[in-house]
Amino acid sequence: MEKKWLFGMTAVIAMTLTACGSNKTEAPKEKKDKDTFTYAISGDPTSLNPINVGDRWGLTTTNMIFSPLVRIEGDGTQKMELAKEVTPSEDGKSVTVKLKDDIKWSDGEKLTADDVIFTYEQKVKKENGNADSLWIDDKPIAFEKVDDTTVKFNFPSVSAAAMNNIATETYIIPEHVYKDEPDFSVNELKAKPVGTGPYKLTNYKRGEYLQFEANDTYYGGKVNVPKVNLRIISNADTTKVALQKGEVDASYILPNNIEDIKKSDVATYEYSENRVGYMGVNNNSDKLKDVKVRQAIFYALNKEELNKAGYLDAKYYDNVYSILPPNNPYATDKVEKYDTDVEKSKKLLKEAGAEDLKINLAFSSDDPVQTIQATLMQQQLQKAGITLELTGGDSAAYFAEMQKPETKKYDLFMGGYIMGNDPDLYSSLFKTGGSSNYFHYSSDKTDKLFNAGVVELDDAKRKDVYADLQKQIADDAVFYPIVDSKKVLAVNKAVKDVEKAGLIPIYTFEDLSKLSIK
Amino acid sequence: MAKYILKRVLQVIPLLFIVSFIVFSLIHLAPYDAIDSITTPNMSKETVEILRQRYGLDQPFLVQYFMWLKQILTGDFGHSLVSQQSIAQELAIRIPNTIKLILPAYITALIIAIVLGLVAGANKGKFLDKFIDGICSVGISMPTFWFAMLMIYFFGYKLNALPIIGMHTVGNEDSFLDFLQHFIMPYIVLTVAFFPDLTRYVRSSTMLQLSEDYVMVQQSFGASKKEIFFRHVSKNVLLPIVTQIGLALPMLVTGAIITESIFGWPGIGPYLMSATKALDFPIIMAVMLLSATLVILGNLLSDILYTIVDPRISQGDK
Repeated sequence: MEKKWLFGMTAVIAMTLTACGSNKTEAPKEKKDKDTFTYAISGDPTSLNPINVGDRWGLTTTNMIFSPLVRIEGDGTQKMELAKEVTPSEDGKSVTVKLKDDIKWSDGEKLTADDVIFTYEQKVKKENGNADSLWIDDKPIAFEKVDDTTVKFNFPSVSAAAMNNIATETYIIPEHVYKDEPDFSVNELKAKPVGTGPYKLTNYKRGEYLQFEANDTYYGGKVNVPKVNLRIISNADTTKVALQKGEVDASYILPNNIEDIKKSDVATYEYSENRVGYMGVNNNSDKLKDVKVRQAIFYALNKEELNKAGYLDAKYYDNVYSILPPNNPYATDKVEKYDTDVEKSKKLLKEAGAEDLKINLAFSSDDPVQTIQATLMQQQLQKAGITLELTGGDSAAYFAEMQKPETKKYDLFMGGYIMGNDPDLYSSLFKTGGSSNYFHYSSDKTDKLFNAGVVELDDAKRKDVYADLQKQIADDAVFYPIVDSKKVLAVNKAVKDVEKAGLIPIYTFEDLSKLSIK
Repeated sequence: MAKYILKRVLQVIPLLFIVSFIVFSLIHLAPYDAIDSITTPNMSKETVEILRQRYGLDQPFLVQYFMWLKQILTGDFGHSLVSQQSIAQELAIRIPNTIKLILPAYITALIIAIVLGLVAGANKGKFLDKFIDGICSVGISMPTFWFAMLMIYFFGYKLNALPIIGMHTVGNEDSFLDFLQHFIMPYIVLTVAFFPDLTRYVRSSTMLQLSEDYVMVQQSFGASKKEIFFRHVSKNVLLPIVTQIGLALPMLVTGAIITESIFGWPGIGPYLMSATKALDFPIIMAVMLLSATLVILGNLLSDILYTIVDPRISQGDK
């Protein structure tokens, strides 16, 4: 009897294995529904309120319904959206924005300067939660209506970063729809959204999907795909199968799924999100007070090896040497790169009298890339005689620990940030007392350079200031940049013009109206 | 009997308070602050402070606990820190979705378990018994998520017979057929997850009954095996199942977290999972409190049901 049983089990296992093995010969599945684009997202948008939205899926949704005045592209150039022209004043204390003529809201009303001012007046209020970029030296930017299609932004003091800050993530909302809204700090406004973007939100079922319909009055031209669904699927494996069988048309995937996905009728697009993945140094740590010790650690590491192990192919990453991602217009690689040199590392340790160095590293244990890289770091540092203790955990938990001003619990930790284009935005990470200065890094030279950069209006001079700044931080050896990893978007091959729709950080598609389905 | 029931109900009240206090304390011991979930790195310290005050997170521990308890007692579970949606409203949408999936699966599993359990118990040691026991072993040792993935792979992808995500096709909410197509796979997965334990329970209580003295007495009176089994044993076996039904109460909320997340079923599962990832602690507390309460109430219910079915129980308590 027991033998029969065993035989039965073996048969089942064998069947499963054959079935799994045969997926190489998969026939492409044709897309049935040609006027709907279904995009898988991993959870409900946190906020659908354009005034305070800040999360990935909230911004994706907002970007479909609303439009900003100007968009700052990945390379730092400006792309006019609602604005026709933007003129900064000579003294650097104001910017005048002229709106395009005849832009209509999706309910048919005309866009005016009043709408723009209404939007910024809500956004600049601190209690609404997204005001920081509209304040300079603790004073708010003021807004002035010049005529029906012209708005002037007056800065309390000179700021080179202000243009970027005014444009970034500010989506203009219509005054006539939202003027009776009681509270703009909530995550869902009471009024039904009316915007100038390519799509209108028609239905939202929490936990299930968001349904969109083309906006006929979109200023950017005809919308090619009449319907868009954002489908909420929290499980990555399910998403993968749903992609392969065509139940969804697009989704982010991890590099280690690319090979599987490519066997079915799905194309992949890799693009940078201008994210910097790094290993940070806790400058509170007593063991790491001496700059020579920190340099010794950096010299012992091998960046190329770390990235190859984490991202498999050079297509999916770039090595990073500065605090700014390589695509940033202010980024420079003329900094100390800490090319691997174990002998030098040992020498530095000897000079610092820290030959039996024993330190720990916090990393996110549910991030497969960080887990691989942390293990590899342990091996690399071992060669220089440094013992690295791995303390894997939940990233939210150890970042909360790193936030504490006096923390010494971790010596090193791994993380990543997407901060945007203007280099002044990085001051919150590296300036003394910055709100995200997890490194507890404090340097007079660096602070002075940040202060000089933000008020420098000549772009060439500004670049020099930030080049010095990047060099200074590299020399101080407080931050080990590792990677600019690529985001991989998998898209059903029936969906065309993905590049035309523009793949951009966070929002995924810059202008979804350009997408088409064949 | 009424006295016994009242006594049990009164015992439950302090227990619920203790549970609520434990749930609240545990979340507060976690090595992070709820404020972390609503702030972004671009916010100034000042903004963070304003937010902290708005959510009452600057108050001392006990004050926060009583504020929270007062809310709950008035039926308000508070708001999600991340999305600011009312948790009570969200639960009101999601719990029915979960029940729609779990209740049919549990009932099916119960029926299968009663049939298989009785058959196995009656054929103790024979091939049929070992076979059913074997199936149960496989069922118990097989992880739900793995079985769910297999189902998705074969029926969803290979055969392309069933949709794999959600409860409905977008824009097709009124079609029952559409619901049924989405329902089949998670329903099978849950049925398979539920029935092995229940089957073993029925099987062992069948065997226990068969070894009782009354069976021997009946045998000595010359009753046939069939008669004994159907007239007496099966009735006595079904009694303890009443207890099982009471204990299954909390499952109506948390019984399908993994299955729901895999199939994208819009119930409690994905809601709790994403809340956990986002450190959205009012949601985690609400769900924990709800399921702890249901465990206590489920026990109460099964005790009461049992006294109704078999009054000797409450007499023993005097």
